[in-house]
Amino acid sequence: MGSKRSWNLYIPVHQWFVFTSAIFLSLPAVAQSTADTTATDSLQHHRIEEVRVVGKTILHKAKEQAFNINVIDAKQLYNSSADLHHALNQSTGVRIREDGGMGSAFSFSLNGFTGKQVKMFVDGLPMDNFGSSLTLNNFPATMANRIEIYKGVLPVSLGADALGGAVNIVTRTNANYLDLSYGYGSFNTHKAGLNGAFTDSETGFTIRANAFYNYSDNNYKVSVSPIDLTTGIVGPEQEVERFHDAYNSIGAQVDLGLTGKAFADHLLIGALVGANNRDIQTGVTMEQVFGARTSRSNSFIPTLKYKKSDLFLDGLDLSLYSAYNMTANHFVDTTRLRFNWLQETIPTSTSELSRTQLRNRDNEALATANLSYGMSDKQAFSLNYVLTDFTRKSDDVENPNNITFLMPQRLRKQTLGIAWQTTYTRFTSTLFSKLYMLHAESFENISRNTIAEYQATEMNRTQAGYGAAAAYFVRPNLQVKASYEHTYRLPEATELLGDGLFVRRNAKLRPEKSDNINLGALYTLLDGAINHLQVEGNFTYRNAKDYIRQDQQQVQPVDRQFINVGDVRTIGGEAEIKYSWNNKLFIGANATYQQIIDRTAFLVTENLTGTIRTPNLNYGYRLPNMPYLFGNANLGFRLQPNPQKDDVLTLNYNASFVEKYYLTPNQIGKNNQDVIPRQISHDLFADYALKKGKYVIALECKNLANSKLYDNYLLQNPGRSFFVKLRYFIKR
Amino acid sequence: MNISNLQTVLRTSLYAALALAVVSCSKDKDADPNPTLPVTGEVYTLGLGVTTPEATTNYVLLTNDLMSGTLSLINNGIQQEGYRDYANIGNHFQAIGGLGLTDVNSYYIDASNQLAVKTGLNLQARPVDTYDIDGTGSYLAVTLPSAPNEGTDLSFITVDVASNRITNTKKITVNSDNFPIDGEWMLHTGIAIRGSQAFQTILPFDAEGWETKKTDKTYVAVYSYPEFELEKIIEDDRTGPAGAFNTRSGIFATESGDIYTISHSGFGYSQRTKEPAVLKIAAGTSEFDANYLFKTADVANGGRIVHAIYIGDNKLFASVSGGTQEAQWDDQNLKFAIVDLADQTITTVAGSPTFSGDGGRSFAAFHKDGKAYAAANVDGELNIYEIDLDKATLRKGAKVEATFVGGIGQIR
Repeated sequence: MGSKRSWNLYIPVHQWFVFTSAIFLSLPAVAQSTADTTATDSLQHHRIEEVRVVGKTILHKAKEQAFNINVIDAKQLYNSSADLHHALNQSTGVRIREDGGMGSAFSFSLNGFTGKQVKMFVDGLPMDNFGSSLTLNNFPATMANRIEIYKGVLPVSLGADALGGAVNIVTRTNANYLDLSYGYGSFNTHKAGLNGAFTDSETGFTIRANAFYNYSDNNYKVSVSPIDLTTGIVGPEQEVERFHDAYNSIGAQVDLGLTGKAFADHLLIGALVGANNRDIQTGVTMEQVFGARTSRSNSFIPTLKYKKSDLFLDGLDLSLYSAYNMTANHFVDTTRLRFNWLQETIPTSTSELSRTQLRNRDNEALATANLSYGMSDKQAFSLNYVLTDFTRKSDDVENPNNITFLMPQRLRKQTLGIAWQTTYTRFTSTLFSKLYMLHAESFENISRNTIAEYQATEMNRTQAGYGAAAAYFVRPNLQVKASYEHTYRLPEATELLGDGLFVRRNAKLRPEKSDNINLGALYTLLDGAINHLQVEGNFTYRNAKDYIRQDQQQVQPVDRQFINVGDVRTIGGEAEIKYSWNNKLFIGANATYQQIIDRTAFLVTENLTGTIRTPNLNYGYRLPNMPYLFGNANLGFRLQPNPQKDDVLTLNYNASFVEKYYLTPNQIGKNNQDVIPRQISHDLFADYALKKGKYVIALECKNLANSKLYDNYLLQNPGRSFFVKLRYFIKR
Repeated sequence: MNISNLQTVLRTSLYAALALAVVSCSKDKDADPNPTLPVTGEVYTLGLGVTTPEATTNYVLLTNDLMSGTLSLINNGIQQEGYRDYANIGNHFQAIGGLGLTDVNSYYIDASNQLAVKTGLNLQARPVDTYDIDGTGSYLAVTLPSAPNEGTDLSFITVDVASNRITNTKKITVNSDNFPIDGEWMLHTGIAIRGSQAFQTILPFDAEGWETKKTDKTYVAVYSYPEFELEKIIEDDRTGPAGAFNTRSGIFATESGDIYTISHSGFGYSQRTKEPAVLKIAAGTSEFDANYLFKTADVANGGRIVHAIYIGDNKLFASVSGGTQEAQWDDQNLKFAIVDLADQTITTVAGSPTFSGDGGRSFAAFHKDGKAYAAANVDGELNIYEIDLDKATLRKGAKVEATFVGGIGQIR
């Protein structure tokens, strides 16, 4: 290996500091008095509202932030079998598409953004690389206090290069409680959860634990046309059971330490641990069926949490959350057989598809720090820093000389955010700026002959984003909001630097960027003791440019580049209405419409002989393979059949709707068959709580009408299923 | 999953597409419930690819006229699932590929004058070649993974066009016993059948680094036909390996039984150690003809013969690269040309544009009545060209609103 090649594109860090300092210092921030703040939970600019609006829950306060935010109260899900996916799918702007049953691969989209453009956090810590056992579809709802969905504009406390928003899971921090649950349902599905906390009020000793176990055979029936392996004849369509789709996962989050001490509000050490095993039943289509491929993952993530209010000064708060993520993913295809849907087999020469025992070992250092200072009851500053430093080592005994495995890559991202918040009786606002710093390392083949010569290569990038959010109570029951952010999604190491074989370095690659605007109103029409009626409407505008995609115009099988291709403009509207009567009847509905338009006029590819520009035939048309009209409705009853005993019976009905959409550009070709049809599903839930919720028994039926539900490439999702759950909950 | 592993999976999916069964059924159905497709007169078929920022999608488009107007896919054309290659065997146009599986959609005009399609044929893997077995209504599909971890079977699958059924499958294991080529993996680059023998050009290939490290010899595997028993591998060190990754232009047989191998060491080669040249296996023999050596770069209008189809009378219609090969996967500086293999001449088609090829794809061209039809993208505009094969002249035809032409043929 030769000397290190380095590529830099700098906005000098000190320039950003000078620039942002000048802006913030020019603001009329007059320190009058200090007050304590709670910077870490990003609720601090509602401090005044807490006083004004007596009795507002923390959920309300989160909801009334100036950001466009959906807050899901996880408590309402504790009695159901729902994982966090299902809860999120009920929310406006969000669509989660799953490949199948429990544990299957999924894609999360938020207002048209998907993949790495949307970031996931747990208590403010980025969790995108936490392994497939520690994802939203594994976590039980009982782990969370609430789930916050930030659309397009992120507070600085969630520091990440999120182009289109983020989801933050806020875990439960109750001092003393125990919550046990176990459920069993169709397809031999088991779900168990253990959540609890113990706090010794004298010594401050605290232990918090969330643990889960999931198992399913996922052996639901699908409609397929099995191919006879001996005659090769495609048989008639028939229903068969999935036979190689079992999934299990187990995981826990444990924190141990002290709370309520002079030197720390909390000081907790702990770990997130998780593991899963997955059988792989199909490829990208139902026709591609597997009978032996598997994957598994395990993660061990020690954590350290520290928080101190009024550190040195009144109103100066510090919180830290750091972790070291060690995750291994293992993928195995070594069975020399080919399967069909009837579970018949024929021998093959090496494997089912491609012989592999791939192991990816990921290491990632994570740290997030928040420092906030409340200069007065109306003015506060906060400073946030997030570090993620990711490396991956891969090996495959079946493919030991794979060059891309021998050349590890590193991606370090740092996000520094500064925000100024003002809080008045009816008006709150925040103005913020973020500095993104990226350091990527990889290798490239610099050989001019067939003897490969690899050289380390690295690159640094710096970008500055900014934004603002404001909310104003026009009347006590009408809040209007506006927010804006100019944001970036930084390239991955491979996208920027290549991997030595399949991907070639592109030093000119720019980050994806977007200007996101939200306008919204939250109107409480009825706020009486009996009738409560609230409506919310939001307008979303996203103007995203420079999507990073692999160059489709390059025709060679290897040595291709990632390029900036893809400008997308999204104009969307979301509406939600909620009505409740006397805490006995609950009705709600929401709808999301997103006009997601491809604004890429030309596809430009560069090669040694020049630049090739070809018109994009999808220019001006809807982006394919993205749901654009969907909604949910629910109806709930809360009954007290035996008022003396405080027993409560809850009945809930949910319907969800996704309008038909095409997987490929629909204006091209006639009678496009790549279509996901309009889908409507109905779910029923009933739970009976005894002794003020100490004991709960819950029954549910999902996909009541046994509708055919699909997601990606017509992969069939489960039909009607039943689930029964028992829960035991005590708190002190 | 990081990008490199994603790449591995993508490559795996692309080149080792899983299929089922040796035999398959076929079923007839209307290709389109409301065809706006011309079913009168001459019917030409195009296999078109459309690349958007998201992905590439593939379509089969029918037209009566390749030479005027605009061939548009807007609300027109039959979408094909997944990646597709095309063949034009007899009066059928095959779109071969798919997502995960490899199926064959075979389009034709049926007795009631309607466009029809035969489907339901699954091949074991994506073919790296489809060869018309001298107009008998059958074609040979050759499958060979690009890396041994995706399978070590080289398959020769005979498909009957009329029924869209497999009639014969022969397999041979690729290993160093059967193919002693310095321990390298290999690619299939072309096949020609002559009487009771089949000749296959093979390219030693580093399946891990995607490099060509053995470029000092031409290799031809000789099989008995139709048994596909491997008889021998013949070598010649006067030039490098014939053909290239997926271009299907490595070897051609003439009416008289002569066989020519085309070595260019251009597109797909990570090194060049021999001059590009054509070699001959004379009629009645199965060894290289020591008296024949056609150095294609040394003649007037010379260069690298990267993509070609055989047009009869010892001639190829080809796209010939005239520039230097800058990098392994460059497929540039191409011009249409007529190559006379017997006379060892290259005639550049007068007025030919200079264009870039579609890399690892079969040459999208066909010929009839002394005319060849092919496509080229010049300054961002994709056009059909009609080449007069006798006069070596060219006429610009219809504009095509697509990103690339992957196949072109005629079904009536």
